[in-house]
Amino acid sequence: MGAATPAGFLLPLALMAPLTGMLIAFALGGRYAHRVALATVPVGLALAIAIVIHLARSGEALEYLLGGWAPPLGVRLRADGLAAAMMLATAVIIGATALFAGPEFGARPDAPERRAPFAFWQLLLAVWGALNTVLLAHDLFTLFVALELLTFAGVPLVCLDGRGETLQAALRYLIFALAGSALYLVGVPLLYGTYGTLDISLLAMRIHVDHATVTATALMTAGLLAKTALFPLHLWLPPAHAGAPAPASTVLSALVIKGSFFVLVRLWFDVGLGSAAGAQLLAALGAGAIFFGNVVALRQARLKLLVAYSTVAQIGYLFLMFPLALSAGSTAADGAMALAGGLMQVISHAAAKAAMFMSAGLVYAALGHDRIAELAGVGRLMPMSIVAFALGGISLVGLPPSGGFLAKWLLLSVSAATGQWWWAAVMIVGGLLTACYAVLVVMRAMTAPAAPLVPKAEVPRASEAVALALAVCSVLLGFVAFLPIDLTAIGRPHSVVLGAQ
Amino acid sequence: MRTLLLGATLALPLAMLAACVLRGLRERMLGWLAIAPLPGLAAALFAVDAAPLAFGGASVQLTFALDRPGALLLGVAALLWCAAGTYAASYFGGSPKAGRFAVCWLMALTGCLGVFVAADMVSLYALLGLLTLGSTGLVMHDDTPRARRAAAVYVGLALAGETLALMAFVMLATLTPGDSLLVRDAAAALPTSPHRDLTLALLVVGFGIKAGLAPLHVWMPLAHSAAPVPASAVLSGAVVKVGIIGLIRFLPFDAPLAAWGEPLAALGMFTALYAVAIGITQTHPKAVLAYSSVSQMGVVVAVLGMGMAAGDAAAPMLAAFYASHHVLVKGALFLVVGVVAATGTARVMPTLALATVLAAGLGGLPLTGGALAKFAVKDPLGDGLMGALGVVSAIGTTVLMLHFVVRLRANAAAEPPAAAPAGLFLPWLVMAIASIAVPWLLYYAAPLGVLPDPLAPKYLWEALWPVAIGAVLAAVLTRNADRLPRIPEGDIAVAIDAAARAAVIGSTRLESLDVVLRRWPAAGVSLLAVAIAIGAALVAAG
Repeated sequence: MGAATPAGFLLPLALMAPLTGMLIAFALGGRYAHRVALATVPVGLALAIAIVIHLARSGEALEYLLGGWAPPLGVRLRADGLAAAMMLATAVIIGATALFAGPEFGARPDAPERRAPFAFWQLLLAVWGALNTVLLAHDLFTLFVALELLTFAGVPLVCLDGRGETLQAALRYLIFALAGSALYLVGVPLLYGTYGTLDISLLAMRIHVDHATVTATALMTAGLLAKTALFPLHLWLPPAHAGAPAPASTVLSALVIKGSFFVLVRLWFDVGLGSAAGAQLLAALGAGAIFFGNVVALRQARLKLLVAYSTVAQIGYLFLMFPLALSAGSTAADGAMALAGGLMQVISHAAAKAAMFMSAGLVYAALGHDRIAELAGVGRLMPMSIVAFALGGISLVGLPPSGGFLAKWLLLSVSAATGQWWWAAVMIVGGLLTACYAVLVVMRAMTAPAAPLVPKAEVPRASEAVALALAVCSVLLGFVAFLPIDLTAIGRPHSVVLGAQ
Repeated sequence: MRTLLLGATLALPLAMLAACVLRGLRERMLGWLAIAPLPGLAAALFAVDAAPLAFGGASVQLTFALDRPGALLLGVAALLWCAAGTYAASYFGGSPKAGRFAVCWLMALTGCLGVFVAADMVSLYALLGLLTLGSTGLVMHDDTPRARRAAAVYVGLALAGETLALMAFVMLATLTPGDSLLVRDAAAALPTSPHRDLTLALLVVGFGIKAGLAPLHVWMPLAHSAAPVPASAVLSGAVVKVGIIGLIRFLPFDAPLAAWGEPLAALGMFTALYAVAIGITQTHPKAVLAYSSVSQMGVVVAVLGMGMAAGDAAAPMLAAFYASHHVLVKGALFLVVGVVAATGTARVMPTLALATVLAAGLGGLPLTGGALAKFAVKDPLGDGLMGALGVVSAIGTTVLMLHFVVRLRANAAAEPPAAAPAGLFLPWLVMAIASIAVPWLLYYAAPLGVLPDPLAPKYLWEALWPVAIGAVLAAVLTRNADRLPRIPEGDIAVAIDAAARAAVIGSTRLESLDVVLRRWPAAGVSLLAVAIAIGAALVAAG
């Protein structure tokens, strides 16, 4: 007994694999942490692939009841198409980050143990385990625990180097995330008191509008927005993401903020806490983020800060799917299409932004600075990194065949179908603003330098190749539209095959 | 077999582009650029109306096909890419940046030729994007501040145009039967669309930017005069035609639509005349040529507008024919700028003489391809005001092009006995001959008309007198050249600089707002406000 669906046992395994790796690394110590992490990557990746294959074959979500206890008493793990796609993306990006971080944090067993690498590998695995829990959990309390684990793994990643300014950034992040957690946690008992369950499927059946539900939704949503750093709640993001070491920024910007966003999607789409007016409000904040983040990104003098503000803007895009899916005029097909577009945006941004943060980090390491005005000649010194940055930019701008394009196409289609032109205009203007800074950076890097550029440190070509590979992934991601099945629609309420409305 | 040619049009340049990943091949690619457009040339000759090439999944299908206007433009564009590729090999031989140039060249080439064979909106948009990226690289190749500014203006406007077109594509895709992405189905759905006017506006502005329609033509003089000579030739000759083919394929010509056709024609004709007026103040031969391209594309758009107003289904083909002549002659004239710059004053006269014939041909000099092109669009422009303005534009073009020849001559090499290398001279000669002969071949092969018409004395005289008046005016202009105002390249592009300064001020304000928002008290208030606002939104809805 136990598994609610065959192969459901894969879910706890996927959850446990990274966390087990983390514990083993903890026991063996810093000299072996790197190896343990590298050994965990293929296991986690294989599990994610196995889950995706099972979903694609059966066309149904995977479920697992912990200890065989059914909700509302027990805890249910569930992998629908959204979760499976995100798990695969998470595994790929964590794996790429592990390869990328080898030269920076890889410790030889004969060398003395250092604090930062030991912490980094453990935190990387902890982030992975926490994200898998966020993706698979099917009740609001487990989601809370997973989010906390994610925050506590994410915050120390910011200040791995122990400098004063990064400690300050980490503290900002911690305190604001804590405020977010508190808001979420206040909401949970309100819902439990009203409905007697926290299981998402059961809540979805019982949900109705009353004071407690409205209060809980408002508090929980605000808390999650704080953790996601949606404008104007982005105060902690730029210093944290720009100050962290490159592999840490990669994980934070590509994955960690998506965790709380994913919980919000569960609340609004699966529990059904959302409303049309609320969705318009979320997207309005998103539009603010797109405009504001992109413009401020253009003003940045440092590359890593530019990329961090670009994340502030890209977070905004994620929220455009809410009104497109939840407005009064949206059909079930529109909703499915908007959700597919939003998920594609999440994954495509993850790959592209990871590649961009990696390139920015490599540039910083090679030059000893990342001042955009002084990037002339970098294109010749480290072509792979600049190409990776440019390809990431192409994906963010949304040129085909990138995942960004597919996302934009889907979201624009829904906005045309539901007559919400203003969101289409936001996407169009945002894409052009994004192009401005992508072009700005690449043009500077391609300029011939006044004097030949001498790197301060050797450029690790393997790390450059990892960044480039991720960037290529994000640019080719649009080809998933050619696949015969639409993964995101599997196991969804009102599931509709993409493009068949 | 014929269908495979459509695939090869894209596959060969893409394969060459992929080969550029290896440094060794990239550095040697320059010498091979001329073969990249050959499958496209073959497709234009043999694959017209062949069975479409389609691949992809159930929900998204990419399709490639070749209609007759597309074949016309593809053929001459491939010829120009081929000649200019040969020219580039000689122009850049031994340059350390040859590898980078080849990559940008192949990207732009794939995009440009691909647009003519793309039959669905997704691949069309993808190829337009590839074209923009490659062309931007070509424009900024010289790496001067002027080239960088030109590239920045170009990429900004080009991406803006593409995005507007994309919005139109998405709107059309929601209307096509079975969610087809085919351009043909989208164009068929356009006239009955509930958002017809918005879609048309997006298409006209989107493709109009690509074709250099005023007032969004500013990028063309900047980009085409900043790029290296062979790149200018393909940009001004072939690449601007993607805007024209876009308009041809999407705009409705089957039923009269005067509300759109007439304003479009007026805008086109305004562009044609305005660009001549600015062009004669320019001193650099490439800038003069770029304004001439703006002007000529204005004429093409005027033809399309009149065709739309009258519901004339023949207009697109005639406009494509006019544009295909422009591909050849403008390519040749840009190439001659580099030839003359390498030729000394003692040897330059024969080259200048041939260039003068081509230049006057754009104004409609009898027996040139240009006369035929002007003849072909006489009908759609009509006998009324537009027809008269068409004659005025022919006079203006003659003045502008003779002004070009004067500026060209001033540009000859300093040492009198210098001679241009064969690698520059031969491609130019081929293009020059092609621009006189190929339009005649196309006219009968297409076929657009029967032989006696354009050679009748009546038509010869009609073509000759505007050129003669233009020549007289050009002579007057040359004597009074000092009195003309000096208008910077890109004329109203200075407005862009002003807008950029305003944007900098605005963004500085946003940045200081960011500092305020990221303070703790502000962030705390924001968090509270967001929570309350969401609650209020939920209550309002409930």
